[in-house]
Amino acid sequence: MSPRAAALHFDTVVIGAGTAGLTAATRLAEGGARVCVLAKGIGSTHLAPGTVDVLGYAPDRVEEPARALSELVAARPDHPYALMGVESVAPALQWFAGRIADGPQPGYRYVGDLERNHLLPTAVGVLRPSALVPETMAEGDMRTREPVCIVGTRSLRDFHASLCAANLETAGIAARAIEVELELDRADVNSLGLARRFDDPEFRAAFAAQLAPHLHGDERVGLPAVLGVRDPHGAWADLQRRLGRGIFEIGTLPPSVPGMRAFEALRTALRSAGGRLILGAEVIGAEREGGRISAVRAHAAGHDVRYHARWFVLATGGFASGAIALGSDWITRETVLGLPLRGAPAPGDPRFVGEYLAEQPMARVGVAVDGALRAEGAENVLVAGASLPGAVPWQEGSGEGIALSSGHRAAEVVLAEGAGVRAAV
Amino acid sequence: MTVLSTDVLVIGGGATGTGVAWDAALRGFDVILVDRADLAEGTSGRFHGLLHSGGRYAVKDPHAAEECIAENVILRKVAADCIEDTGGFFVTTPFDDPAYADRFAEGCQATGVPCEEIDPAQALREEPLLHPGISRVFRVPDGNIEVWKMVGAMARGAQQRGARVLTYHGVIAIHRDGDEVTGARVRDERTGEETDVEARVTVNAAGAWAGHVAEMAGIEGVRILPGRGIMIAMNHRLVNTVINRCTMPSDGDIIVPIRTVSVIGTTDVHTEDPDDHTVHQNEVDAMLDEGERLVPGFRQARALRVWTGVRPLFEDSKAADTDSRDVTRSHALLDHAQRDGVARFVTMTGGKLTTYRLMAQDTVDDVCRILGEQRACTTAAVPLPGSEDGEPYKLGDRLARKEEHLRDDQLICECELIPRTRLEDAMRRRGTHNLDDIRRELRLGMGPCQGGFCIYRATGILHGLDGMTGEQANGALLHFLQERWKGTWPILYGDQLRQARLDDWIFQGVLDVGHLPS
Repeated sequence: MSPRAAALHFDTVVIGAGTAGLTAATRLAEGGARVCVLAKGIGSTHLAPGTVDVLGYAPDRVEEPARALSELVAARPDHPYALMGVESVAPALQWFAGRIADGPQPGYRYVGDLERNHLLPTAVGVLRPSALVPETMAEGDMRTREPVCIVGTRSLRDFHASLCAANLETAGIAARAIEVELELDRADVNSLGLARRFDDPEFRAAFAAQLAPHLHGDERVGLPAVLGVRDPHGAWADLQRRLGRGIFEIGTLPPSVPGMRAFEALRTALRSAGGRLILGAEVIGAEREGGRISAVRAHAAGHDVRYHARWFVLATGGFASGAIALGSDWITRETVLGLPLRGAPAPGDPRFVGEYLAEQPMARVGVAVDGALRAEGAENVLVAGASLPGAVPWQEGSGEGIALSSGHRAAEVVLAEGAGVRAAV
Repeated sequence: MTVLSTDVLVIGGGATGTGVAWDAALRGFDVILVDRADLAEGTSGRFHGLLHSGGRYAVKDPHAAEECIAENVILRKVAADCIEDTGGFFVTTPFDDPAYADRFAEGCQATGVPCEEIDPAQALREEPLLHPGISRVFRVPDGNIEVWKMVGAMARGAQQRGARVLTYHGVIAIHRDGDEVTGARVRDERTGEETDVEARVTVNAAGAWAGHVAEMAGIEGVRILPGRGIMIAMNHRLVNTVINRCTMPSDGDIIVPIRTVSVIGTTDVHTEDPDDHTVHQNEVDAMLDEGERLVPGFRQARALRVWTGVRPLFEDSKAADTDSRDVTRSHALLDHAQRDGVARFVTMTGGKLTTYRLMAQDTVDDVCRILGEQRACTTAAVPLPGSEDGEPYKLGDRLARKEEHLRDDQLICECELIPRTRLEDAMRRRGTHNLDDIRRELRLGMGPCQGGFCIYRATGILHGLDGMTGEQANGALLHFLQERWKGTWPILYGDQLRQARLDDWIFQGVLDVGHLPS
C-alpha cells in the first residue's frame, strides 16, 4: 500500500449494507460511536420481501415464534439465535419498528410481535409465516378467512395473480384473481417502476376507478407490493378509502419495494445519528496487529482508502453476496478478511445433494464466532447476519430475524466496551 | 383402445428417428413417430453441439471423417437455420505430442476434410483466450448445431406432410405376427392410455436403448455399448471458434461455442445403463483441468451446468470391452429379416449426430426395399422448415429480433432473450404442462441465472393461459426447478454458486415454494 493512500479513523467500521450491517451501524451511531459503513453494493433489503421473518418453520410451520425460538436454541446450540441469545430478538425488533415509524415515509409502520406469526401469501400463494410485517401487508393475514381477490396486471411480469389465487384456494381460502390493464407507455415495468406510479394520486384514482366495479361484497384485495416508495402509507390508505375495503401487498420478485422502503428508513436513521454509508466501497484487504484487525483497505472510485477502527462488524452475507465463496478447488473461504469458517462439509463429503428442496450440506457454513459474535482469530471483529454459521435462513424463515438481532446485538457488544463514549476517542 | 395404422412406425425421437420420419414423409410415406419422452431428450439433446468437420476422425477413423465432411456440407444447406458457422481450430498445445500435427494434416488431406494450417499468432488474434503456448493450428470447417431446433424443424416438416408425432409415448410391446413385426403398443406416459400402432415397417431408432427395443421384438444380441460422456457448459463464449486439441481423441479435448455458452467435452466411460446420468467428481475435475490447458483461467470462469450423454456405440461381434472410443463411430443398419429371420423390422444405431441424415437415408432406403417401392431420398436437397433461405444462424439473431419489439413485448427470460409472445405461442402450440419441453424449444432458463427469474414468470403465464389447476402449475414449477438443479449442483462453485443462492433466495425465500400446497 502506498504511504500516500488516504487514511480515515472511526470507532467502528461496518462492512456490508444489508439489514444486519445497517442495523449495527445505526444502533452504534445512535449510541454515540463514530461509524462508517463500507459496502460493495446494496444488500439483502432489495431482494427479500420486506417482512421480518424470525422463525417460520422448525421444521413445521411456527405459529408462536417466541416459544419456538426457545425450543430451537435448546435443540441447536450452534444456531445464531443460540449464540446471541433469544432475549436479544425482541429488543431488536422493537428498535427496527421504531426506526421505520420515525422514518422518511410518513405514517408507514410495521406491525406484529414474537407472540404470533402472520400468515401472508407469497406471489405463488404460499402462506408464509412472518413475525413483523409492513402495515401495508398485514391485511393479507390468512389466519382470518375472509375472501380475497388477488389483482395483477399483465404489465408486471414479476407477479401472477391467477397462480397466487389458485394456491390460496387450495389452502382453503375463498380466492379469485383479476387482471387489470394499466396504461403504461411500455410493455414491461418492474416493481419499482410501478411503485413510482402509485406514488401519484391521479394514477391511484384511475386504478381504483378501473378496479372498483369488479370487486365483490366483503372481499379483501391483494396487490403486488408496489404501493408507492415515497409515501406508501398514503398510497395504501388512499386505495383502501377509494375501494372501501382492506387491501394488502404481496411480495414480488426482486427488486423488493418494501425492502427498499426499509433500506431508506435505516439509511436515514444512520445519517441523522451521524453515521456514514459508502456504497461502492469494496473491502479488499485488512491490516492486522496480532489478534486484531487494525484497518481495512477499501477500493472505491478508482483509489484505495485505509479505514482504521477499534471495532469492525462483518455483515457481508453468505454465498449469495460473495462474502463466502467455494472455489473450483472445492475449498470454502471468507473472502473479505480471510477469517476461518465453520460448518463446511469435510473434503470428500457431499457439498450438495440432488434433491433441490432438501437441506444442502453447504447451507450452514459461516464465519466461526464465539458466544459474543466475535470472529475466531480476530478479537475486535463481530459477525452479524448471513455471515453467521448454523442457520438455513430461507428454509427456516429466519433471515431478517437473525440479521436484525445479530446486527443489534453486535452493536450492543461494542457499545458495552465503551466505543460509544466520544471522549475516549 | 385406439388403433392407428401407418406405413412406417419410427421408435425414437432423437435426431436419427426424427430424421427417418422427415425422410420417409418427404418420400410420401405415412409415418408415426413415438418417443417415451420429448423429442431429442436422450443422446441427441445431450451432446456438445458440434457439427463435425471430420477432422476429429481424420487419423483414427478415415471413413467416419469422409462421412462427416460430406454431411457437414449438406447440413449447412438444408439445416442452415440450425447451424452457426463458427469454424474450428485443431491446436497443438504444449501438452500434446507435436508429432500428431503432421499425421493430422495428412489424414485431412486423405479424407477430403478442408484443412489449412495457420500461424499460431493469427489464431491467438482470433481467439485471444487460447493457451499462448500453442505451436501449430489448423483451421477446419467445424460449426455448431442447435439440435432441438433442428429436430423440431424436422418433426414439423414431417407433420406438415401428414406424419403423426407422439411424444411421451413409450413402447410397451412390439407386435409380431409369426416372423413379421406388425407394429407396437405404446402408452401415453402422462395419462397411462395405451394405443396400438399397426405398421408396414417398424424402425428401431432408439439409439442407446435400441437393444431393449429389439429384445421386445424377441431379437437377441443387438448389443449397444453405452459410452457415457460428460459435458460442462461454461457461461459466455470463452471462444468463438470450435477448439479441438490436435491429438488422438481423448477426454476434454474440445470446446464448442454454442449460443450463449461454451461447452467442454467429453469423457468416455462404459456404462451398462443408458439411463445412468451420474456425474462423478473426478470427471468434473478432469474437464476443468483439460479446459485450463486450452484456455488458461478456465477454472475461474463460471461453470453453468453439467450433463452426461450416452453414445450408442454398436458392437456386433463379441469383441472385448475396451475403451468404447475404439468401437467404430460408423452407424449400423440391421435388417432383422436377414440377421434374425424377423421381417419388417429394421434397427438403425451407432453413428453420430453429424451423420444423422445419412443414417436416415440408409434406413428409409431399406424401408423402400422392404416395401418394394422405388422412392428417391430428397433430404440432401429439401431444406428444413425455417432454413429455406439458406442463411446460417448468427449469434445476434435473437437480439436483433428482440430489439424490433423492445417497447411492445415483455422479456421473460433475460438470459436467452425470450419475449412473452414467443413463449405464449410455444405454450399454446405445444399444449404441454412441462416447462422443460418449452426449455428445449426456446432455451428457457438455460442462461447464467438458470431460471432464477423466468421460471416463476413462465409458470404464472402457463397457469394463466392454459386454465390448468394450481396443483399442475406447482408441479410444473417444482419439476423445472428440480431439472435445473440436477445439472447444477455437481459443479456449483464460484460465481455460479452465488447465483444459485440468489435463486434459492427467490424460490425458497421470497416465494417459499418449499411449502406449496399439494
